[in-house]
Amino acid sequence: MTTSVRPPAPARVPAPGPVPPPRGRRRAARRPSALLSKTGVTALLALATFYTLLPLTWLLLSSTKSRQDLFGTNGFALGDEIHLTQNLQYLFSAQDGVYLRWVLNTVLYAGVGALLAAVFSVAAGYAFDKLAFPGKERLFSLVLLGVMVPATALAIPLYLLAAKVGLVNTFWGVFLPGLVFPFGVYLARVFSAAYVPDEVLEAARMDGAGEFRTFRRIAFPMIAPGFVTIFLFQFTQIWNSFFLPLVMLSDQDLYPVNLGLYVWYSSALSQGRPEDYLLAVVGSLVSVAPLIAVFLMLQRFWKSGMTAGAVK
Amino acid sequence: MLRRTAVTTLAGSVTALALLVTGCGGGGQDTSAGTEKTGEVTFWSFLKGSEAVAAAFNRSHPDIKVTFETVPSGQEYYSKLTNAVKAGTAPDVAVVEYPHLPEFAAQGKVEDLTGTLGPAVKDGFPEAVRQLVELGGRTWGVPRDAAPLTLMYRKDFFTRHEIDVPTTWDAYRTMTEQVKKADANARGGVLYTNNPGQLTALAWQSGGQWFTAADDSWKVTLDDAPSNKVASFWGDLARKDLVRSLTDADPFWTSVQKSQTVAYVCASWCAGAQQATVPDQKGKWAVAPAPTWDGKPASAMFGGSSFVVPKGARNSGAAAEFIKWITTDPEGMKAWVASGTSSMLPADPALVPVARAAFKTDYYGGQDVYAVGAESYKAIRSGWTWGPVTGTTNAAIADELPKVADGTAALPAVLTQAERTTVEQMERRGMKVSAP
Repeated sequence: MTTSVRPPAPARVPAPGPVPPPRGRRRAARRPSALLSKTGVTALLALATFYTLLPLTWLLLSSTKSRQDLFGTNGFALGDEIHLTQNLQYLFSAQDGVYLRWVLNTVLYAGVGALLAAVFSVAAGYAFDKLAFPGKERLFSLVLLGVMVPATALAIPLYLLAAKVGLVNTFWGVFLPGLVFPFGVYLARVFSAAYVPDEVLEAARMDGAGEFRTFRRIAFPMIAPGFVTIFLFQFTQIWNSFFLPLVMLSDQDLYPVNLGLYVWYSSALSQGRPEDYLLAVVGSLVSVAPLIAVFLMLQRFWKSGMTAGAVK
Repeated sequence: MLRRTAVTTLAGSVTALALLVTGCGGGGQDTSAGTEKTGEVTFWSFLKGSEAVAAAFNRSHPDIKVTFETVPSGQEYYSKLTNAVKAGTAPDVAVVEYPHLPEFAAQGKVEDLTGTLGPAVKDGFPEAVRQLVELGGRTWGVPRDAAPLTLMYRKDFFTRHEIDVPTTWDAYRTMTEQVKKADANARGGVLYTNNPGQLTALAWQSGGQWFTAADDSWKVTLDDAPSNKVASFWGDLARKDLVRSLTDADPFWTSVQKSQTVAYVCASWCAGAQQATVPDQKGKWAVAPAPTWDGKPASAMFGGSSFVVPKGARNSGAAAEFIKWITTDPEGMKAWVASGTSSMLPADPALVPVARAAFKTDYYGGQDVYAVGAESYKAIRSGWTWGPVTGTTNAAIADELPKVADGTAALPAVLTQAERTTVEQMERRGMKVSAP
């Protein structure tokens, strides 16, 4: 490593301010206007909750119905008989258990992909923040440019590139693009500036830690909440990415779960395969479950990460 | 770069279609017409039975190995196929529904099959379906099924309330009024709010002609007199709440399951879809010819698919062999309908008995639904051509369809607007459009 550490008093890059104390002071709720606004906000939030939970309720109820009840009974009422177990059995056994394969693929694309993307982002963001190297700001502008370009717009160019190198209809065609996350790099730089004081790095170096070791053992743990935030951001992005897998993949065994569900849904009713419609409904329910689990588990990091960037 | 090659290859044909492709210089030869009939073939389809057909073909053709890949249906599929051709990663055989075929042909995205499968198409298929795959005197695809219009109706409901099965559109209107009177929750028809194919087929059946390919330009007339008549008729039915306005997916099937839709205009394939989706109404449904304006047989297609060899296919020789088998061979047809639940009408009339034998008719109380379909097939109006920007045309209509029932959009005006959007898109793609 030939890169040197930037002197403690930065000239161009704004210095990271100390993290302000948590703003937990409670507003005096004595005045009626404050009370009114509180009810208003609560009502609004209740409405939003309702709006969010309504489709999920439909999904949950529909998944328990037999095919007849699915069309024959009210979407927000239970069917005549509970068919959830049969439906789940059918889901996991249909077409030689292809659904499980899709779930596994998604775990690889979104889970492993986002994990690696977060590692790269944090490493790059840290480097942008703490190290000095020629063309740094110019390179960072390039990263920012990447933030501006929506992922959907890149799907076709990526596909054409993949065709050139023979990655179309392979695992790598969807996995590799998921590793690139410019917004994560930007976030990581902000996190690094906020969480990792230069003095700590100085101390680490004094004690004889190498550049990589400093990053791994000292800086990385300090950015951990940011790391989780970046991971979650990219995880949802890959999870929701639809157009790229759609054009890139045609082998059903490589599909992520959302594309598989779409294939089932899109031709179920027009092609006279109503059993596929049921599969799409139950499959959707099963596929949102892990997402909810991940968010609940990482909620703590997620919340702290959300505000960390805001004060910068 | 890739587009240029595709365009020049097409330029050999001195036809309306080829001339519409921008920048044709002539002289290009079709280099990819393979004669080899062995090797591997990849096959993209979303049609029911595709996997079984590929497997059956592999069993009877040891020299060719077909790999079937499921693709979603709808507009997304066509953008996937377009991009695959652009990138040079297209499959050897792909399904393309009739409305989308001219778009692929005009853009040079499918191989000209005139030399290989052209004769089979000429000999085996009637004009009604040939006009959809032969454009500018060349053959671009091979038809699988015809989808002539039919009327699906609840026989039990009609008998119970002494309602006659309509044979004219005037009688159809009366029928919808009778149905609503007999049961306030029931309706005698559906105007799909997301699928313009139904409205298009009705315009075609009435003698409408949306697109005409002349020597070097297109004529676009979505709002010609017959189409306007159809649009006013259906717009009125929808606004008066005599037919339901629903998407053709879950809401439609829910209304059928709940006996809230007791008749609807559909096509030959709908008999199978109806039977599969609402199995417990067995014995209650029947199929009739679609009504016409003057009571004389007239029909059109709502749906239907063909197979093409996309440009850049690696094994077009074996691909042609496969396409021929799955569209004209009795064994191939048997494989398509092996499940016994598909009521698709083979486009090749010689294969109709094969499909008829496989379809179980107990759902329709033993009625020979294939006889209705075959009659309707014969009555399809000739002279229909699909446009070269179907995605745009369809979207322009579908965007407005949900507004018809509450009166915020008038159906004839929707067609006029869709015509304008279509022409704009065609001109943007460098096609010449003569004044309608």
